[in-house]
Amino acid sequence: MQINDQVEADRWVGVALDSQIQSASSHPVILNGRELALWRGESGPARVWDDRCPHRGMRLSFGFVRGNTLRCLYHGWTYGENGHCEAIPAHPDLAPPKTICASTHGTAAKYGIIWVNLSATRAAHVPDLPNQPGWLPVRSVHLRASAPQVLDGIAEFDYGEPARTSMPAQNACVVVLGSDTQLFFALQPIGLDKTGLHVVVNESGEPQIPRRQRLARQVARLRDTIEAGGGGVWPSPRTL
Amino acid sequence: MALKLYDYSLSGSCYKVRLLLAFLKLDYAREQVDFYPGRAHKSLDFLELNPLGQIPVLEDGDLRLRDAQAILCYLADKYDKSGQWLPRDPDLFGTVMMWLMFAGGEIMAASAARLHDSLGYDLDIAAARQKAHAAFRILDDHLTLRAIESTRWIAGDHPTIADVACFPYVALSGDGGIGHEDYPALRNWMRAFRRLPRFHAMSGIPEFV
Repeated sequence: MQINDQVEADRWVGVALDSQIQSASSHPVILNGRELALWRGESGPARVWDDRCPHRGMRLSFGFVRGNTLRCLYHGWTYGENGHCEAIPAHPDLAPPKTICASTHGTAAKYGIIWVNLSATRAAHVPDLPNQPGWLPVRSVHLRASAPQVLDGIAEFDYGEPARTSMPAQNACVVVLGSDTQLFFALQPIGLDKTGLHVVVNESGEPQIPRRQRLARQVARLRDTIEAGGGGVWPSPRTL
Repeated sequence: MALKLYDYSLSGSCYKVRLLLAFLKLDYAREQVDFYPGRAHKSLDFLELNPLGQIPVLEDGDLRLRDAQAILCYLADKYDKSGQWLPRDPDLFGTVMMWLMFAGGEIMAASAARLHDSLGYDLDIAAARQKAHAAFRILDDHLTLRAIESTRWIAGDHPTIADVACFPYVALSGDGGIGHEDYPALRNWMRAFRRLPRFHAMSGIPEFV
């Protein structure tokens, strides 16, 4: 299901935790039904492109990284960080024309989350949070529920202590637990009934491993609670 | 040569055994079984080797074993003097066994989906994919907690036969219409596994990583 003819809104959407996109790796990501390749070279920031090699349409997320280039698994066409094709192995003496270029998108890393903006204008800003530094990754989950259902579920979830919920931007949610712990949830609409949720934490005194594992388990419980409330057995048969 | 593997190149279960044989640097003879289209694994000759009519089968001298998980245990116990692939520490041993059973049980739903999509097996594909997704989520949850500890393997600090047993049908699941988009921890674990020394690919799993 590719939705390529719609005009993409000028909006930043979280699609992954920065810590989970390791150096020299490529990943498949779906945003509003659009297939994207999220990759990182051996150094430098992550990048998001359409998941399609300009040559034969192979998914670039199946490709592999050498240096700071992404190479298509199919014929090894090699793309630099700006998306331009730098080498075609079957024609080693050819300098590829500038017109051969992957479809690139605005990408940013903030609060430990990788954000994507699919629009051409990119005038919008990544959502502002009260605490800029100090965010640590908890985990990502992918839910069989719509983004509004997930937002409702986050607000209604029993965190075991007093919780205050606010929405600093569309598809972004902050939950303050007690006086000290802030959880930030970035929602990634995948399809009409599927949503990615990327969670980071900020609290005084850097949370240690057992604390971060406990929060990760709690996010899994949140996922399971939302899916049960939505009445859907995961995954629902009609989307298979 | 003492070791002989009754093998099929496209079988993820046979691939489990081939991977461990490579990791342990063991030489072995391969006898290709015409699984498809010949259905040689259901022939009377093959049923004498394994009455369950399944591959792989391993022979080591006079010993004959079926079941990929059992074969992994045997090979690691006999030939891995380091004890890395099958830890003897009781806690680790138990954990490895637990995920080994998971590989031979719940994860095989992904194998069923692949047999449906690639070889036309007649089965409930929606149910198979749903069960495979449920299993992948359980392993992804486990590996997510492991990654928070900066540990990349299913049990302990080294890859074990639990990783070997779980890897093939997770990695091959795209052949059954089951993508990896929802499982970031599985993706990082698979990449680490593919970067192991002496790892080799099979059809459906890219050589380049």
